[in-house]
Amino acid sequence: MPLWFARGLRRGVVTTRYPARSDPSAASLPTPPAFRPRQLTVRAVDQMVAECPGPALSRAAGTLVFDAGACTACGRCARVAPHAVTPSGEFELASTTRPALIKLIPILGEER
Amino acid sequence: MTAVEPHAAGGTRDQLVDALAALGSRTAEHGGAPAVRIPVEALEQATQTAASTPDVRLADMFAADGDATVLRLVWADQRDKPGYIVTETEIGGGEYPPLSGIAPAAFVEECEIYEQFGVRPADGKPLNRVMLPPHDGAELPTLGHRPAQPPAEAHAPHLVGGQAFEFPFGPVRQAGVESLYYGLVTSGEEVVDLYLFTWHKHRGVEWRLRGKSMREAIFLAERAEGLSAVAVGWALAAAAEAAAGVTPPPAAARTRAVALELERLYNHAAATAALCQATGLSVGQAAAEIALERLLRVNAAAFGHRYLFGVVEPGGAGRAPDAEVLRRELPGAYDELRRTADALLSTNSFIDRLEACGVLTAEQARRLGLVGPVARATGLATDARRAPVAGGGPYTTTPPNVVTATSGDVFARFQVMLGEAAESAQLISRFLDEGTAAECVPLPGGGGTGLGWAESSRGEALAWVTLDAGGRITRARLRPGSARNWRGFDDACRSRNVFTDIPIIEASFWLTVAGIAR
Repeated sequence: MPLWFARGLRRGVVTTRYPARSDPSAASLPTPPAFRPRQLTVRAVDQMVAECPGPALSRAAGTLVFDAGACTACGRCARVAPHAVTPSGEFELASTTRPALIKLIPILGEER
Repeated sequence: MTAVEPHAAGGTRDQLVDALAALGSRTAEHGGAPAVRIPVEALEQATQTAASTPDVRLADMFAADGDATVLRLVWADQRDKPGYIVTETEIGGGEYPPLSGIAPAAFVEECEIYEQFGVRPADGKPLNRVMLPPHDGAELPTLGHRPAQPPAEAHAPHLVGGQAFEFPFGPVRQAGVESLYYGLVTSGEEVVDLYLFTWHKHRGVEWRLRGKSMREAIFLAERAEGLSAVAVGWALAAAAEAAAGVTPPPAAARTRAVALELERLYNHAAATAALCQATGLSVGQAAAEIALERLLRVNAAAFGHRYLFGVVEPGGAGRAPDAEVLRRELPGAYDELRRTADALLSTNSFIDRLEACGVLTAEQARRLGLVGPVARATGLATDARRAPVAGGGPYTTTPPNVVTATSGDVFARFQVMLGEAAESAQLISRFLDEGTAAECVPLPGGGGTGLGWAESSRGEALAWVTLDAGGRITRARLRPGSARNWRGFDDACRSRNVFTDIPIIEASFWLTVAGIAR
């Protein structure tokens, strides 16, 4: 063990970079939504909020409040507003503070 | 308990229904499950009639509150035409005839009904605490009236004498294992007695389901026992479909069946890895976990979710499998498991730990109403896939071979799991050939009640639902396979085993605490 410890110190490497290489299977994992502010309308946001099975989505005035910490990546919001929502592809969401997981997205789309 | 003469019904389900109806009256069917209303004064005799009929077991017992508390018993008939029978009994006062003396499988539910509805068996026997934590306070909601007196704080009193002592273990256990408390009575090495506390993670899922639409409810049901998401979700969806009188499109039903068999495959791979871990076989564990990971990746590639959430929807299926991916990737992933299993079966130090360990007899399994590989390893050919759902269902045209063994030990359970994994791989291929789709039929309003079932990797999952005119749930009952089989775990541990056998027995049961603490 001391040999490995000394070897790591000498090389300045104690472990591999993370991730060591990209994992193609990650592409098929469900990921939280990413929102397109210009496609978001109040009506679409209200539909998404109603469809969300948890407390991940809410609307406050002209803003969509998205709590990534409460999102299960079920994809229901994308189904009711496919033009405004895409899978983010991001599943490594760790944060040192809870508020950092809450995102405010401006609703910039116009009702048609 | 009053003495009741055994009076077994004849050889068919219809004859048993007639025998029960002679004690009460027939009511409307619940989606293919005949229902009989039994007056409370005839409940003991009705229970005796069903319990003494060969190949009939008590599958579930639960209550619902209305003008009066209604007690429902679900009987599974495993004879020529497998199916279910429901008896319904109104409880006028705070007590009903004790049933667990006649059907021991009823005891856990007697305890649960007392906690949730405040009604209890009339014999005054102590009832265990099974769901509500001891320090719950009055603010923790229950499904009905709170009990007049809290249940026994821990468990039915038992004597510990001589050289035996009680060894507490849990509820916090090694990393990644669910909260579970073992009260282990031992003389040093031998397991003299074992009782479990399973209430540490009670989440009140059935309480939360009240007032939900079916779409909202499926989301919660999938998470009641996440490792049986498809089975529990399917059972609840089937209950609602029975209540609404609709049949899912055949291709959507086959989609559910593909997901259910994938769920069985990855769970049996996980149980294999757990058995290796429990027997200290690190290389075997790593090999089984590689197979497990490959199977989970197949799930994600085929259905978009490693644990198959979101596949089942009320009236059909929300996601269709990528058949090309399954045909290309699944054989390799299954072969990985098969190769690992072959190596384990030729490893004497592994087999030696499994044989004659955690033995259950067929009679114990029948009396306790056990299900799944645990029951099949004792020789009972119980399998909910053999019971046709409304419209027949996918397993009517593509019936599974029910794998059984006879020795009832850990090795028998392992063999059953391996046999079932092979069967699942073949069934998936056949369902894909017959065609799958993501289709749903809408559930019409109007209300109703229904019973649904599916065979999870842990055994039969049952669900009961009552819908109001607007299609919202007024009472939902979820009974995953784990809720059934934990009651056989302590018997298996007591059967001439030592301390170090317990993790092996637990791995061979492969249950979840979430399934009982739902």
